Amino acid sequence: MRSLSIGATGMQAQQLNVEVISNNIANSSTTGFKRQRAEFQDLLYQNMRRIGSTSSDAGTIIPSGVQIGSGVRTASVYRIMEQGNLTITDNKLDLAINGNGFFQIQLPSGDIAYTRDGSFALNPEGKIVTSNGYVVAPGIVVTAGATDISVSATGQVQAKVPGSVIPAIVGQINIANFANTAGLEATGDNLYLETPASGTPTTGLPGSTGLGPILQGTLETSNVNVVQEITTLITAQRAYEMNSKIIKTSDEMMQTVGQLR
Amino acid sequence: MENPIYISLSRMMALRNQMDVVANNVANANSTAYKQQRVLFSEFLKKPAMGEQISMVRDRATVRDMSQGPLTATNNPLDLAINGKGFFVVDTLNGPRYTRNGRFQLDGKGGVVDVNGLPVLDAKSKPVTIPAGASRVRVTSDGSVLTDLDPTNAVAKIAMVSFEKEHQLVQVGAGLFTTASPDQQPIPASNDIKITQGMIEESNVKPILEMTNMIGVLRQYQGMQKIIDAEHERQKAMIQKLGRSV
Repeated sequence: MRSLSIGATGMQAQQLNVEVISNNIANSSTTGFKRQRAEFQDLLYQNMRRIGSTSSDAGTIIPSGVQIGSGVRTASVYRIMEQGNLTITDNKLDLAINGNGFFQIQLPSGDIAYTRDGSFALNPEGKIVTSNGYVVAPGIVVTAGATDISVSATGQVQAKVPGSVIPAIVGQINIANFANTAGLEATGDNLYLETPASGTPTTGLPGSTGLGPILQGTLETSNVNVVQEITTLITAQRAYEMNSKIIKTSDEMMQTVGQLR
Repeated sequence: MENPIYISLSRMMALRNQMDVVANNVANANSTAYKQQRVLFSEFLKKPAMGEQISMVRDRATVRDMSQGPLTATNNPLDLAINGKGFFVVDTLNGPRYTRNGRFQLDGKGGVVDVNGLPVLDAKSKPVTIPAGASRVRVTSDGSVLTDLDPTNAVAKIAMVSFEKEHQLVQVGAGLFTTASPDQQPIPASNDIKITQGMIEESNVKPILEMTNMIGVLRQYQGMQKIIDAEHERQKAMIQKLGRSV
């Protein structure tokens, strides 16, 4: 019975689907998290009666043959890069990008990672860093003793030092974008890495063509819609059940054969 | 004399194939752009002797329901769905293959590829490429690809083809179709078939129908077994009656 193994591939696929959904729900309050979606494809087909084969000496051909599939496989689990909601935190170093673009983060290894999570802070040397302490490119140092930090929509960082009336420009945050953001590789900690599928990054001023402006005192929440995830979860669970019913039915059919005398 | 058994067996064999098809439909209920299949049965006549005529059953064909699946928004720029009867063309080593799965991405060189890395072809049968440096891609309803580098001139036009006899396409897995005979050539899709960007076509499997089909298959299978059982009993009774010594 081929349907036994077909049902098994279906159950495996739905199990993975539930895993992806549970990861989405678990990260529904993660800053800058982008939800994922599992994508499935049909497996190879077996031709029991081949389409287009000759059916008589007169050259007539079979218009549609018997093709029986062998189940389902997971083609990819990919990220949906929709904008998340913006929440106001009034924290001077909480930055959100309203539109396309990623902050560039210098990893300890020297590579550049990309993130939508703009919950930054200052490290002891006065550098702007992520919540994990990684330096935000290009490594802006805020003057010691600065009382007020402001980040403009175009990414210009200004700090006000005591004794000076005019705030001093201390740096410029540029953001990067990719032709296919769904192709980025997630490495955890809200960071993404460039891959061949994402294309090469193009960097620019926030708010310039194709890039969103920076909003200070704002964070981007995850784009997980919990209601939608729960409904997908229900569909996945029911699909899992239906595949198990297929296995049960195939079993009963085999039992029927066993009762033939 | 054993004809009832052979007729039942022909039905049981056909039902097994139908069960496999139902199982494949249910397993692919969440596969992108999957088209559900049905089994077509036909009567198979046999004339054993003396004007007697018995009809067995055989599964003649699997037919695909090519109706449109529901569209789901993903908002990814390279997720494309076709509204209407049409196919995208991807290039393989064995020639072009046709698919309705428009979940595309970029390879390392800016080429647009499908989920398995096969290049997507444009209307001139050349692979579609996105020029380096483009950060926004827009695909219009006729398949023209525009980037933010040049928002007025299309860099390529994604090919959309259709077939006169769609049911003659052969499925090769991974959502791909191929033509069965050389005289079956793709024709450019008509203008009322539109590409929608940021959407994915879901599978058109209706799970409730599949479940009822499955129950039907099981019950008929069991019914056929009962017929074989009854025929067995009949033959046994006959042998006992006729074989009794006078």
